[in-house]
Amino acid sequence: MKLGAVIGRVTLNKTLSSLEGARWLIVSPFTREHYQRGSETPAGLSKDPSLVVYDTLGGGVGQTIGYVEGREAAQPFEKPTPVDAINAALVDEIFYNPFTK
Amino acid sequence: MLLARVEGNLVATRKHPSFDGWRLVICQPINHAGDPEGAPQVAIDCHGAGMHQRVVISSDGSAARKAVGDDKSPARWMVIGIVDEIEPGVPV
Repeated sequence: MKLGAVIGRVTLNKTLSSLEGARWLIVSPFTREHYQRGSETPAGLSKDPSLVVYDTLGGGVGQTIGYVEGREAAQPFEKPTPVDAINAALVDEIFYNPFTK
Repeated sequence: MLLARVEGNLVATRKHPSFDGWRLVICQPINHAGDPEGAPQVAIDCHGAGMHQRVVISSDGSAARKAVGDDKSPARWMVIGIVDEIEPGVPV
């Protein structure tokens, strides 16, 4: 699971029948620098490209979410579904204490 | 599998039900020298890894699903061990 900030939403006009009614979020992934800010949403986007994440939990713009990438993202579905990033957690609080030598 | 250092943990009330009761730790992948490499990953932890401890995390989703006991879980990264020494006889 990686963390990211929700920066927008996507609605699909035409879609596969297996994805009808789905909710999609645009997520900007956290890099190491973004973690230093604790629970507040980092201003600005990360250098890593944003991605579209399937959402069943009801994430909103400005929230921090934990999303899973890869084959595992399609695991919660009954039938084979072309999803490779899914929102797995709405993050309430982050306790982060970076290691410095 | 990646060598990583535990740098924190998460609190999430709304999450996939398979993560209920699991500790979610922030793991920063590191190189042999201990310097950070890449973006941190959040992994489920059944070993009780402590802050700044070195761990090995695995991206094996099927093993993670078995660990959480839910075939429909999106769990992927899991702490599979805590590192005592990287070279024999040299504790970290």
